[in-house]
Amino acid sequence: MLRARGLVKAYRQETAVAGVDLEVNAGERVALLGPNGAGKTTTLFMLLGVVTPDEGWVELVGERLPEGRKRALAQVGFAAGYLPLAEKLRVREFLAMYADLYGMPQRTTAIAAALERFGIGQLASALGTELSSGQRTLVGIVKATLHRPRLMVLDEPTASLDPEVASRVRQGLLELSRQNGSALLVTSHDMAEVERLCERVVFLSKGRVVADGSPAEVSASFGHRGLEDVFLHLAGEEDARPRVGTRSVRRGRP
Amino acid sequence: MTVLSMPGHGRAGEAARAWQRVRAIARRHAYVLARSPHRLFDVTLWPLVDVLLFGSLGVFVSHHRGSGSIAFAYLLSGIVLWHVVYQSQIALSTGLLEETWSRNMLNLMVTPMSELEYALGVMLFGMVKLFVGVGVAAATAAAFYAFDVTTLGFDILPVAAVLLLVGWVIALFVIGIVLRFGSGAEALAWGILFMVMPLSGVFYPTRALPAFLQPLAVALPTTHAFAAGRALLDHQGLQWGQLAIAGLSTLALLVVAVAFVSAMLGLFRKRGYVTRYT
Repeated sequence: MLRARGLVKAYRQETAVAGVDLEVNAGERVALLGPNGAGKTTTLFMLLGVVTPDEGWVELVGERLPEGRKRALAQVGFAAGYLPLAEKLRVREFLAMYADLYGMPQRTTAIAAALERFGIGQLASALGTELSSGQRTLVGIVKATLHRPRLMVLDEPTASLDPEVASRVRQGLLELSRQNGSALLVTSHDMAEVERLCERVVFLSKGRVVADGSPAEVSASFGHRGLEDVFLHLAGEEDARPRVGTRSVRRGRP
Repeated sequence: MTVLSMPGHGRAGEAARAWQRVRAIARRHAYVLARSPHRLFDVTLWPLVDVLLFGSLGVFVSHHRGSGSIAFAYLLSGIVLWHVVYQSQIALSTGLLEETWSRNMLNLMVTPMSELEYALGVMLFGMVKLFVGVGVAAATAAAFYAFDVTTLGFDILPVAAVLLLVGWVIALFVIGIVLRFGSGAEALAWGILFMVMPLSGVFYPTRALPAFLQPLAVALPTTHAFAAGRALLDHQGLQWGQLAIAGLSTLALLVVAVAFVSAMLGLFRKRGYVTRYT
């Protein structure tokens, strides 16, 4: 579904990503984790073809980037918790625009179903400016899942959601993943959520993959009881170590 | 896995999807215009104010100079034709700016839409703005000054077509600069026209310019297009020579503008400038 090898990205003198290899298989739910500045968002942007890597390559839904970008992105959905909804559009107009961009027929039915999946059918006629930040995030997730993509890429999707709504989002994503076999690649700072949603976690630190495996395996490889402790462990290292480290990847699985 | 039935496969299917994307972008900008009264000024109030300004100036000149009536016609036809450049340029460049203002660029960049489809969508919407804006200018000239643009006949259409293309070319340069330097460069979307306007002989032959500026004026395609427009007022018929110079130099500039935008888009992706709008 997604393969990336040797991704490197530097902004001016700062190395954001220092050689990331990543693979997500069909139907797999993977979390890309790490402290702020670990290189998660830059990695996601390179995987989506929005940022050109300095080194390395990406194969997205069987298409090599950047040549196959258009064909690949037709089968990928993206949402980020920090992106607003276009202000002058009603929710249904915003979703209709993206349905058209993905070439969907019968978009009215698909939009209604997608809104209901996340329990926000009542927001269809609301303007972007009338929504709370949590509601805007939900609409963004609906947008990302509208065309039933083979891969969903979500950057901090539940950052502004209350626990009840975040739970509804997780249920919606799990349902979609199970029904359609969609793979999921998600970044989050909520380790409890990751443990509920994802079967595999990849930890980044200083632009490198430092752990890759199931949540339990990765926690054990660091000698901790949960991902929260692994996160704190790495955040402490991030503060203490130079920018580009040489740590070897801790494999949760042989 | 559930597979959605997309419109047919092959070239016809892809062409249908491309057209669907183009219309989606045009519709998106139409919603924004309809719900932003201040943006309606571009196609309603400004054309009206411009025609009032230059029409009244023309009336004043015609009362005090022997050549007043032709100056009056130059001023009014000039401002109506100028709105072809203005509307096409503003529609395309502010189309991209709208995506930066609403932080929608990242969302658009992760869809299967190509840059060309996006530009065509904004241009399609821009054509609607163009017809409304130029229509308001022409109607104001007719209503307030009894100046009927249609008396210039169909010969005005190729002149307007070249000016339309010039507007898009200028917009592409503005977009390239905004991609490179960010929203700080957005003042160019409006400001650049104020540099082009006096040099293009919109209201007067370029020999009226200071001598040192005249070679620069001659190099601009707009100069030749407006000269062709004035020739129509002077009953000299369509000046194909002037129009050919204007058209060919505009096409040459279009090639340069497309190459410039492509290079800036490459830089935008390479340097990760999308993060400016997230």
